[in-house]
Amino acid sequence: MYISRLAGLVSQWASSMLLAAGFLILFACQSGDAEDVLDTRYRFEKPANFPEPTYTFENNPVTPQGFQLGRRLFFDPILSRDGSVACSNCHQQGLAFADGPQHPFSVGVDNRFGIRNAPPLANLAFKQEFFWDGGVTHLDFVPTNAIENELEMDESLANVVDKLNQHVEYPTLFKQAFGVDTITSPYLLHAFSQFMVMMVSANSRYDKYVRNEGETLTEGELKGMQLFEAKCGACHSGELFSDFSFRNNGISTTFSDEGRARVTEHPLDVGKFRVPSLRNVARTAPYMHNARFKTLEKVLEHYASGVQESPTLDPLLKDETQLGIPMTDEEQTLIITFLETLTDYEFVADERFRNTSQ
Amino acid sequence: MTPDIPGALSIEFDNYVGSQPMQLDPVGSTDYRYITGSGQEFNLSTFRYYISNIKLEGPDGASFEDEMNASANADEVRGYYLVQEGESSSYFIDLDDVPTGQYNRITFTLGIPEEGVQEGAAGGILDPAEGAWFWTWNSGYIGLGMEGTAADSPQERVERDGFVTEANTFALHVGGWKEVEGNDNMVDNTRTVTLDFGDVVTVGQDVKPKVHVVFDMLEILDGAGIDFSQTFQVHAPRAAIPMADEIPEAFTVDHVHQ
Repeated sequence: MYISRLAGLVSQWASSMLLAAGFLILFACQSGDAEDVLDTRYRFEKPANFPEPTYTFENNPVTPQGFQLGRRLFFDPILSRDGSVACSNCHQQGLAFADGPQHPFSVGVDNRFGIRNAPPLANLAFKQEFFWDGGVTHLDFVPTNAIENELEMDESLANVVDKLNQHVEYPTLFKQAFGVDTITSPYLLHAFSQFMVMMVSANSRYDKYVRNEGETLTEGELKGMQLFEAKCGACHSGELFSDFSFRNNGISTTFSDEGRARVTEHPLDVGKFRVPSLRNVARTAPYMHNARFKTLEKVLEHYASGVQESPTLDPLLKDETQLGIPMTDEEQTLIITFLETLTDYEFVADERFRNTSQ
Repeated sequence: MTPDIPGALSIEFDNYVGSQPMQLDPVGSTDYRYITGSGQEFNLSTFRYYISNIKLEGPDGASFEDEMNASANADEVRGYYLVQEGESSSYFIDLDDVPTGQYNRITFTLGIPEEGVQEGAAGGILDPAEGAWFWTWNSGYIGLGMEGTAADSPQERVERDGFVTEANTFALHVGGWKEVEGNDNMVDNTRTVTLDFGDVVTVGQDVKPKVHVVFDMLEILDGAGIDFSQTFQVHAPRAAIPMADEIPEAFTVDHVHQ
């Protein structure tokens, strides 16, 4: 009897405390409490017009500490053999995390040239395969490829882990993010992924238009959108503007870089590269895996009149009478006008992705 | 018989080359201990494989499935095992929580199948920085790795950035877990192995049976018709298919201890 009465009292006390906590939360929201803002900033949210994410969040939930650690690592050349190359060398925020026109191919340690143009980084939580050849099948394993490639960072994952364990600050940061006393590679890769999955680019004028957020597109942009869907939409489909297939788009007749065939070893895959997303495309020049075209005008001109025949040329780029996609000069200009609406200025200026360690 | 009281069972992996117990030699050694069916001499410097998805079955319906977890936390990795020649502790797999009952059959996967890769970065024996063999450019683990020296291997000595590949060595790596539609080269080289004990063992309180599994590497080399003068570097799924196909033949249960 006594016990149950006490239990009742405790439960009454608990609910009044909950009520008090409720008021506190309400108050915090109203006053824009700093911690509350922080939580929202580091929460992954799928944009309304996007497909479901593919990333395994259940194994690696994003936390402020994990995200910030990933950000610090992204900008830290400690990853490379001689401390000269960071991820940010070839993935610059102002360029939607692509490399600039001055580096058509990635530049690695000892100024070694890579073999391909560094792709922009955005919306990585929604992709199933990575790199121009799609050889990497999970976001966690993407940094390993850059770290161990001899033309890029030329370092072993084991050495990076050793260097981080001997560092004055990293062991504490990993402890805070993951509760671990010793840094191991899966936590390093999880920190990177926490930073990268948050790189969601979904606030271009186009997005705000399709989500009915009060944005309007001009007559030219809308015409360009219709033309884009008719001329380009078969491959650059969906809200990520790619079907993520591998195709030979006719930029050459021979391929010293075999592309998808480097992974699949299949002759029918020679010269095929992944169809890239076109988000922020106006900021990611030069274009194609080999940085072949310096401007969007050159890209459109290629599809209209420059497509070259080879055994694996994509069937969508040829019929009985001609190669390429028939487009007038005016149509090409309108399509580019539309592509410019895909630039997400909030993303390229988002201070969450800036280097805060300098 | 109460099937919900957990017992234990132990598996020992014992690697052979034909009738000879496997033994490793230093990299590049020209002391050839072994000979293939076609008369090519060779030795081994590294030999390893991954085992996963272990299942046990019994004649009366008893069954056990090993818990699987490819966790970032090395202490929480479950169900994935690396058997590495030269590290005797790796030869033994102890299965706990096996329901009490009678068992006469084991099934396992050689290699790390899709679930072990697509859960993302994992720790312990799956951590490339801790010795896991992982293909970075074509994500996935090397399920079976065989390296050594063969008199007929035309491999030349290569030194690059301080890393030396010795003359006449070979490296045969069997990997690949994903299939791509319409591409016969993009294959899943993991293989399911099912072995009958040839006897029935009882798992129960205070009874921990042991299953002694033998692996014969010659079954792989001879079965796949490996000629070291032609095949001495295999680092992609397609070329490894003939070796993967021999994996189920290479394992046998030698005997069981009750």
